[in-house]
Amino acid sequence: MKKYVWGRVVRAILSAFIVTVIAMVMIYTLIPRHLIFKTDPTYQKLGGKADDRERYKNTAYERLGYIYFDEQVDMCKAYAADSVEACNVNGSSQANEVAEKYEADGWTVKQYKAGGYYAYKDVPIFKIVANFFSNLIEIDHPWRVNDSSNPDLKRRIYFGTDYNGVPALMGEGTKHKYLIYFDGSFPFIHQNVISLNLGKSYPSYAYTDISKVISSGQGTEKSTMQKFETGSKTKSAVIQHSCTYKATKNLDKLDKNKFTDNYATCDTTKKDPSMIATSMTFGVLALLLAYCIAIPAGMLMASHKGKAADHIGTVWINFMIAVPSLAFIFFGRQVFYLLGFPTSFPSLGAHNIKSYIPAIVILALMNTGSLMLWTRRYMLDQSNADYVKFARAKGLSQSEIFKKHILRNAVIPIVHDLPASIILTITGAVLTETVFAIPGTGKLLPDAINEHNNAMIVALTILYTSLSIFSVLIGDLLMTVVDPRIKLTDDGGAN
Amino acid sequence: MSEMNNKFVFVKSDERESEHIAAPKYSYWRSVFKQFLSKKSTIAILIIASIVILLSIIDPMLSGYNGISHPNINNDSMKFIGPCFKYLFGTDSYGDNLWNVVWIGARNSLGIAGLTTLITITLGVTVGSIWGYSKSMDKWMIEIYNIIANVPFTLIVFVMMYILGRGFWQLIFAMSVTSWLGTAYFIRTQVMIIRDREYNLASRCLGTGKWTIVKNNILPYLISIIVTSISRDLPSYISLEVFLAWLGIGVGESTPSLGKTISANRIFMTNSGYLFWIPVAVSAIITVSLYVAGQTLADAADPRTHR
Repeated sequence: MKKYVWGRVVRAILSAFIVTVIAMVMIYTLIPRHLIFKTDPTYQKLGGKADDRERYKNTAYERLGYIYFDEQVDMCKAYAADSVEACNVNGSSQANEVAEKYEADGWTVKQYKAGGYYAYKDVPIFKIVANFFSNLIEIDHPWRVNDSSNPDLKRRIYFGTDYNGVPALMGEGTKHKYLIYFDGSFPFIHQNVISLNLGKSYPSYAYTDISKVISSGQGTEKSTMQKFETGSKTKSAVIQHSCTYKATKNLDKLDKNKFTDNYATCDTTKKDPSMIATSMTFGVLALLLAYCIAIPAGMLMASHKGKAADHIGTVWINFMIAVPSLAFIFFGRQVFYLLGFPTSFPSLGAHNIKSYIPAIVILALMNTGSLMLWTRRYMLDQSNADYVKFARAKGLSQSEIFKKHILRNAVIPIVHDLPASIILTITGAVLTETVFAIPGTGKLLPDAINEHNNAMIVALTILYTSLSIFSVLIGDLLMTVVDPRIKLTDDGGAN
Repeated sequence: MSEMNNKFVFVKSDERESEHIAAPKYSYWRSVFKQFLSKKSTIAILIIASIVILLSIIDPMLSGYNGISHPNINNDSMKFIGPCFKYLFGTDSYGDNLWNVVWIGARNSLGIAGLTTLITITLGVTVGSIWGYSKSMDKWMIEIYNIIANVPFTLIVFVMMYILGRGFWQLIFAMSVTSWLGTAYFIRTQVMIIRDREYNLASRCLGTGKWTIVKNNILPYLISIIVTSISRDLPSYISLEVFLAWLGIGVGESTPSLGKTISANRIFMTNSGYLFWIPVAVSAIITVSLYVAGQTLADAADPRTHR
C-alpha cells in the first residue's frame, strides 16, 4: 500500500511537471513576446520616447526572465573592467571594442538614439523552464541574505520570543525573521521556512509574487494598535510575523522606530479577505448546501422510482445539466434581485451576509444536477443487490433498509469526489464570480489571458493541475478508509 | 376417417427447415424508432429541436446578414425597437434585426459544437474501440490518459485559446484537442465489458467471425452509449462557447455567435432587457431540447429496452 501511494505521488508530480512544461514551452515560444505590453499603461505612455521605451521594454523582459539585457555600463564592466570610465564615453574606441566582443558572443547589440550601446540575448527556453522549476520551492536558511551594506550580519537559527512574548523559532541571515510561530488564527501554528515561488506577475499586479497576489488580503489597509520590538506603540497595519529582511542602506527612520533589526519589510493587514479565501468561502458553502439538497433529493428519487417525485427530479436534472450555466446564473440573479438582494458583490461588500447568499445558492443549485443524478444511480444500483433482498426478507422496514444498508454503500463513490470538490473550490467559479464581480481566484485566468500575463498563466497551470491531480489521489485514499473492502493494489494481502 | 386423411399431407423431413428458429421478426432500427417516438413529449421536444436547427440554417441564407456589415448603423430610428410583429426579436444597438443576429449566431455556435462533437466522437470511438481490444495499447494509453484527464478541462481550453489566438477553428481545436481522450476511455471501458460477456463468448465458441461479433453483438450497445455521449457533449460545447465568449476568449471579431451576442448585449440588460434575454433563452432552448432528444434516443437505441 505504501509503495502504491508513493508510486501515485511520483506519477502525480511527473504529470503536473509534464503538463506545465508543455504549457510553458508553447506559451514562451508560440506567443509573440511584445504582447505583454498590450495593456501596460506605462509602456503606452512612453510612445514618443523611443529610447526610454526600448529600455523599459528590455528591463521588463529581463525581470521576467525572457532575455539577458546589458547596457553600456554593464557591458564595460564585463569586458573592460580596468577602463570603465573611458569605455562609458559614447563612441569611444573601448566602447566599440566591447560591443564587438558582445556581438561575437551571440548578443544583439544596438545603439540608443541618444548614443550608447545596449545588448540583449534570448534566454533559451529550456533555461526558462529550468529556472522556473528550480526556484519553485524556496527553503529559508541563514545564508539566504546577502547584504553588502551589512557585512557583519550574524547567521543563525534560534529559539526566541516574538513581539508578544510568545515563543517562536527565529532566524538571522534568513529571509524571514519568524520561521515557525504561533498566533490566534487558524491553524495556530505557522511557518515561513518553505514557500512557493510561482514567479512574478506582469503586467497586472506588476512584479508582485503570484503566490502573494492569490493569498494576501485585498482592499484598503486595516490598522490596529500594535506593540513593536522597540517598545513603541502605534496604530499600524503591519503583520509583524511576516517581516522579511531589508538591506541596511534602505532602512529609514520609520523602520528604526519600530524594529530593532533589519527585518522591516512586512505584509499588511487588509480589510477584505484574499482571493483564495473569498473563492473558498463561496465554494465550500455552496458545496455544503449542494450536498444537503442533492443527496436527500437523490434518495427520494430512488425510493420513489417511476413515481411523481422521480419524474420531477429527472426534469430538474436534465434542465440543470443542459441549460448553459450563464443563462442559469443570470436567471438566478434576477430572481434574487426581485427578492431584494444586491446584483453584485461589491455593492454591499465582503462584510455583509447579503452579498454572499445569491451567489452561494446559485452555485449550489448548479451543482445539484449531477449530484442528484449520481446519488439516484448509486442508490438504485445498490437496491437490486442481494444483501438488500436478504434484508427485506428478514423483515426490515423500507426506511431502515434505505438508511442503514443502501445509503452507506451508495455514499462511497460520492465520498470519492468530495476532496476534489473541496480542493478545487480554490480555482474559483469563473462565471459566477464574473457575473457577481466577486474578487476571487476565478477571474485570474481569463484576465491573465486577456492581459497576456504569461507568468500568471504558467503559475495557475501548475497550481491547478497539481491540486486537481492530488485531490483525486486523496479521494482514492479516502475511499479505502470509508470502505475497507476497497483495495487500490491487486496484491490482495495485508498492507 | 378417410375424409380426415385427405386433409393432411405428409411433409418430408427437411434438414434446413429444422435449423430455422421461429422468432418474431426483429429489426434493430425499426424498434429504435418505434421506442423513440412512443412518447408525445419526445415528439414535442423533437419538433422544437428541428425548428431551431432549421431556422439557424435557413434564416442566415435568407437574410444575408453576416455580422460584419451593419446597414442601419447610422439610422437611429432603427435602433432599439422592441419585439413587435415586424421585428419578432426587436432590433439591437446597431439597428440590426435581432432575429437574424440570433440565428446566424446559433448557426455558428451549433457548427462549433457539432464539429467538435464530430471530431471527439469519431476519434474517441475509433481509438477507444482499438484501445479496448488491444492489451498492449492499453498499457501506455492509460498513462497518457492519467496525465491529461486530471488537468481541469477549462484550463486546457483557456491555455489553448491563449496560445492559438481567437477564432472559429481555433476554438474547435482547443475544445477537441484533449476531450476525445475522455470519450475514448469511456468507449474502451464499455468495449472491454461487452467483449467478454457470456453471449459473446458463446458466439465466438459457435464460430462467429470477429467482424460479425463487432457488427451484431457489440455495435448495438455502443450506439446507445455513443448517442448518450453526443447528447451530453453537444449542449456542453454550446454552453462552453457562451462561457468563453462571455470572458472574451471565444471566436474572433468577425464570427458572430450566440455567446458573443449575449456577451455584447449584457450592457443593455436593464434598459432593453430583450436584447440580452432572448439570445440567452434561445441558447437554453437549443441545449435543453438537444439534450433531452439525445437522451431519449440513447434510451431507445439500447437493445435492452426493446420488447
